[in-house]
Amino acid sequence: MIGTVTGAFTHRVLPYAGVDEYLDGAIPFVREGIAAGDRVVCVSTVGREELLRDELGAAAGEVEFVDAAAWYGHPSRTLADCLSDADASAGEGRRLRLLGEPVWAFRSPLEVLEWQRAEAILNVAFRDTGASLLCPYAASLPPGVVAAARKTHPETVRGDRASANPGFVDPWAFSAQCDDEPLPSPPDGTFALRIERPDLYWLRAYVADQVRHTALSGEDLQRLLVAVTEVVTNALRHGEPPIALRVWTRVDAGERSLVCEVTDAGSWRDGSGYGLIPPRPDRRTAAQGRFGLWAVRLLCSLVQIRTGEAGTTVRMWLRLPGRDGA
Amino acid sequence: MGFPNPGGGVGWTGPAPTPDGHSMDAPWFAKRPVSDVRPGDHGWLAYAGAEERDRVIGTFVREGLRHNEKVVYVTDAPADGLPGLDRPLDGHRIDVGAYTRIGQLRVISRADACLDRRGAFEPAMLADTLGRELGGAFAEGFRAVRLTTDHSWALSGPGRADLAQMLGCEHRVGDTVAPSTMAMAICQVDRRTCSGAELLALRDTHEVLIEVDPEFDDGVLRIVRTFEPHGLRLEGELDGARHTVLAERLAAVNRAGRRVHLDVARLRFIDLGGLNLLAQHALALPADEALVLDHLAPDVENVIEMVGWRRLPGLVRGAGAAGGTEDLGR
Repeated sequence: MIGTVTGAFTHRVLPYAGVDEYLDGAIPFVREGIAAGDRVVCVSTVGREELLRDELGAAAGEVEFVDAAAWYGHPSRTLADCLSDADASAGEGRRLRLLGEPVWAFRSPLEVLEWQRAEAILNVAFRDTGASLLCPYAASLPPGVVAAARKTHPETVRGDRASANPGFVDPWAFSAQCDDEPLPSPPDGTFALRIERPDLYWLRAYVADQVRHTALSGEDLQRLLVAVTEVVTNALRHGEPPIALRVWTRVDAGERSLVCEVTDAGSWRDGSGYGLIPPRPDRRTAAQGRFGLWAVRLLCSLVQIRTGEAGTTVRMWLRLPGRDGA
Repeated sequence: MGFPNPGGGVGWTGPAPTPDGHSMDAPWFAKRPVSDVRPGDHGWLAYAGAEERDRVIGTFVREGLRHNEKVVYVTDAPADGLPGLDRPLDGHRIDVGAYTRIGQLRVISRADACLDRRGAFEPAMLADTLGRELGGAFAEGFRAVRLTTDHSWALSGPGRADLAQMLGCEHRVGDTVAPSTMAMAICQVDRRTCSGAELLALRDTHEVLIEVDPEFDDGVLRIVRTFEPHGLRLEGELDGARHTVLAERLAAVNRAGRRVHLDVARLRFIDLGGLNLLAQHALALPADEALVLDHLAPDVENVIEMVGWRRLPGLVRGAGAAGGTEDLGR
């Protein structure tokens, strides 16, 4: 399935303070890729791109520049797209070499957590691709963000030297740590709809009715219905009653979201993957139908999962249009 | 006061076109499964092949026999070879002779039903024939009369009737059937024997389009066989409660070993398991064939694009977007 790429997969963090440290790490990485015939992609802001182009000179023509805001749109989507790129390159016998530029500003704490989780999980997802990923982290970022980067990248780069990162944490352990905090309770008085019948037609009608007044677009409603149907179907098949659905809206720093929660009394087995690894588009995947929970993540703005002896909770978030309820 | 709507589209609120894969279908026709045909229906069946014809007309004939209705079949074919008569009805072999003797099954030759003495097509005759059968039916103890005939012969081959004559004939039949509380008629034509314009003109003399009975209909999901293109039409919502029934029907149409089309214009919802089910059946087709999704509703297509067509190998997007969903705001 994977083509022949000689290099091993690498995922390195480039901590930097100021432009010089950034270029000292980034430029050798890019040049080395060009020299090796890699497919070199630089994800960057406009200002960064100019900086890199100036530094690379004519060699910049060998590099694909991608806008960071567009690239880092949704953790599951970005991971899947990048993995597809890596597989496609590997299929051509080329290594994908990607200089990232994770976007941290304007993200809510919950979103930041999901991006950090993606940084960890990609160590598993990309293991066989031979891709080489370098993620610059500015020293000016919040301390928590930089600290997490040390846990999610196996190696650290200083200039043109990479060294093993002693703080690196096993990706699944890191992902579990992301879920250490219990979920806050739903707002007081949120109605819990008990789901007892396996026919989910009525459930979708109920959800559609619940969100009627929320300005959720038709497209988003469809996504929500697909996501809820999938999660409830899972609960009915593998979970334990009682199964309940709760729907509420939430405002966070002026941003409105719709939250849809499915709970059941069962707990998931270890190693269930939680839909974090993008399924590869091949016939085997299709035959086994293994994209359920992964697709749920894609369909929602954000998904939170807690599972254990106390039961399982899956919370699906959809961002609502406008701010402050506009 | 104020100006008229510059677009002129003030009050057009007619139903959206029926998106059943036949672009020539227009909104003012009722479309009915053959078992729902009722008195006053002057129905139209433009069939794509013998299988479609036999399934529709066979049902039409059998339901007439089952429900004490008179069945009038205008044809030169022998009675025991007619659609629907070759299989047992409610567990009993159909005794064509017995039904004929009591007058419940009337097989009338073309010469007697619609040709003049010189053997030429006579537009007025078919309606007269129907009128005659209708007149006696009540006294004979039948609660309704079902008439069917295949016009293909008149529209093809030597001595072809011209279109104006056929239209005249159809108008008269329609005028006889429509006000009746006892008469039902299905006019059949083999699509392949006429031009598109002829089909349209003929169809327009009918009020009801007749199709096969649905394979499945539980009020949430409806599955209907389609014959041209070969496949199924899905309407409503598909989820885990209905995967098994769809899998069975897909396996049946897959057996033909050729390209399968799913008309999903009126499929409002499909769950991830449903998409996966479609992909699995697509993989069961011969390597160079595909499972084609025609007329995808935008919201449903959006979900597929999220998952990625690449992850659903063998599934192919077919003919254009849905034209019939209510929320298109056209």
